[in-house]
Amino acid sequence: MTRLDLSTPLGLTLALLPEIVLSAWALVVLLVVSWRHRSAEDSRLAGWLSFAGVAVSAAALAALWVNGVTSDGLAQMVALDPFRYGVAAVALLSAGATILLSLGYLERERLLAPEYYPLVLLATAGMMFLGGAEDLIVLFLGLELMSVSVYVLAGFNRANAFSAEAALKYFLIGAFASGFLLYGIALVYGATGTTNLSLGGAQLAGKPLGLMASLGLGLLLIGFGFKVAAVPFHMWAPDVYDGSPTPVTGFMATGVKAAAFAALVRVLMETFPAAASTWQPIVAGLAIASMVLGNLVALTQRSIKRLLAYSSIAHAGYLLAAVWPGTPVGAGAVLLYLVAYSLTTLAAFGLLAWLGRNGERDVTLNDIAGLAATRPGIAFGLTVCMLSLLGFPGTFGFIGKWYIISALVAEGQYALPVIVVLTSVVSAGYYLPIVMAMYMRPAPSADRYSAVRLAPTAAGAIAVAVAAVLLFGVWPAGVLDLAGQSGRTLTQTGVPIAGP
Amino acid sequence: MPENTFLGPSLALSAILFSLGVAGVLLRRNAIVLFMCVELMLNAVNLAFIALAQFHGAGGQIMVLFVMTVAAAEAAVGLAIILAIFRHTQSVDLQNINLLRG
Repeated sequence: MTRLDLSTPLGLTLALLPEIVLSAWALVVLLVVSWRHRSAEDSRLAGWLSFAGVAVSAAALAALWVNGVTSDGLAQMVALDPFRYGVAAVALLSAGATILLSLGYLERERLLAPEYYPLVLLATAGMMFLGGAEDLIVLFLGLELMSVSVYVLAGFNRANAFSAEAALKYFLIGAFASGFLLYGIALVYGATGTTNLSLGGAQLAGKPLGLMASLGLGLLLIGFGFKVAAVPFHMWAPDVYDGSPTPVTGFMATGVKAAAFAALVRVLMETFPAAASTWQPIVAGLAIASMVLGNLVALTQRSIKRLLAYSSIAHAGYLLAAVWPGTPVGAGAVLLYLVAYSLTTLAAFGLLAWLGRNGERDVTLNDIAGLAATRPGIAFGLTVCMLSLLGFPGTFGFIGKWYIISALVAEGQYALPVIVVLTSVVSAGYYLPIVMAMYMRPAPSADRYSAVRLAPTAAGAIAVAVAAVLLFGVWPAGVLDLAGQSGRTLTQTGVPIAGP
Repeated sequence: MPENTFLGPSLALSAILFSLGVAGVLLRRNAIVLFMCVELMLNAVNLAFIALAQFHGAGGQIMVLFVMTVAAAEAAVGLAIILAIFRHTQSVDLQNINLLRG
């Protein structure tokens, strides 16, 4: 346990080391690519440089986490607790995997603009600030750094009309959502007199929520609802996920969602614990709507990419169910599910990127029929991903859902767990046909899949993710402990959570 | 504490401007107009921050500076994206931009 004095420049620098390393590294890579931006080789160089940046940042993060660094006194701007470290680890995991998946993909799709990689790094720095923000100003800046970078990434294939349209929709809806979030911040600031999350919570504790604070909370929930793509604020997500380059879709579905959920949990648990009776019904409503609609509409999709987009809306619903308790166990469940979901989704989009061409928008069940006969490795990986998203026992996804349900039941809530289980059963209706198409249908021709070639970096990243999904599925003790501890520390620095 | 702060009128004006921005985003179909409505929303919030900062110290005023910077960055990226879509459809009307459906 090391305490850092955040009032000194040295303490602040050490506390922010992972973010500082990543931001500075992004600028260096940007400088490098301004000279080296012509050939595929230059693109690879930028990719590997950026991957090294993610690794160095992860090492700095690990140093903070292993030493159990906390703040001496109140954390003013950025939190110093294992919850922040956990979320930052998910963001870095997502970034690292995205870079490895993109290395071959960008060359194949002839997207040889190496600015792609610095943008991934900057978006990741934004995610880390967003997930670790202890102040509404930092939260907003992190959100915008992340969002603006990802707007560009969504439209990276600008020669493709679908990609450009995805970027436009994402940009307009994203900026619209930022407006709501910002108005919410202004009203919370007006009601509490501070932008610090914990101090604001202390101001709001012990008395009924005033009009200004209630409106602020509502606007914040709308803003976050858009960012995590919860029904009814989800309408942009399928189009944007569909049109973006597939590795970017994986990045959006994992890192962006994880950071937004972390910020939502932190705001609700540190600033509005006293108002739990106000926000719990709203969160429950969003969760149920997302689980039901996401899973039902996913059943009707033909394109696998679009199917996964609706599946990610359904998973936002499961995560919102984990936000509902507002307890340390609930926060731990959010974090654990984010890790499980991110590993699985990154591998799924990574595999999808190699089964199609030109945006992979048109990969349907017919395009993977009989895949297992000639490409058993790819079929096995995709099967593990689908089973984990479904929550099949023996995969990491099952552990995540089980933890969410136990966090809900511990608070005496039984309706949400029932809906989680029922909608998961419905989701078998679209996950299992993918598995069955690969294993039980004949391939259209013997050499149908001979052209499917995974780049070695992508294959490595996917193999690691799939192995982790299986490993943590049968041996979850380590990650469960870690997630539980992270959830508990979330409230130690802030205001204690009021009982239900 | 300043004598005459105009807090009520300022917040009301801010709410009206914000609502106008939201209505514009929901009702208009031109990407540029939509973008301007979003900017209106952001500046309405800026007004609220300035009004509230009279009571709560400089935090609100600092936030306004950050918001203006972010809005400028968003404008740069947003206009570039609108330009990219114009090259495909020769239009910035959202009714003509509907390839992604389903």
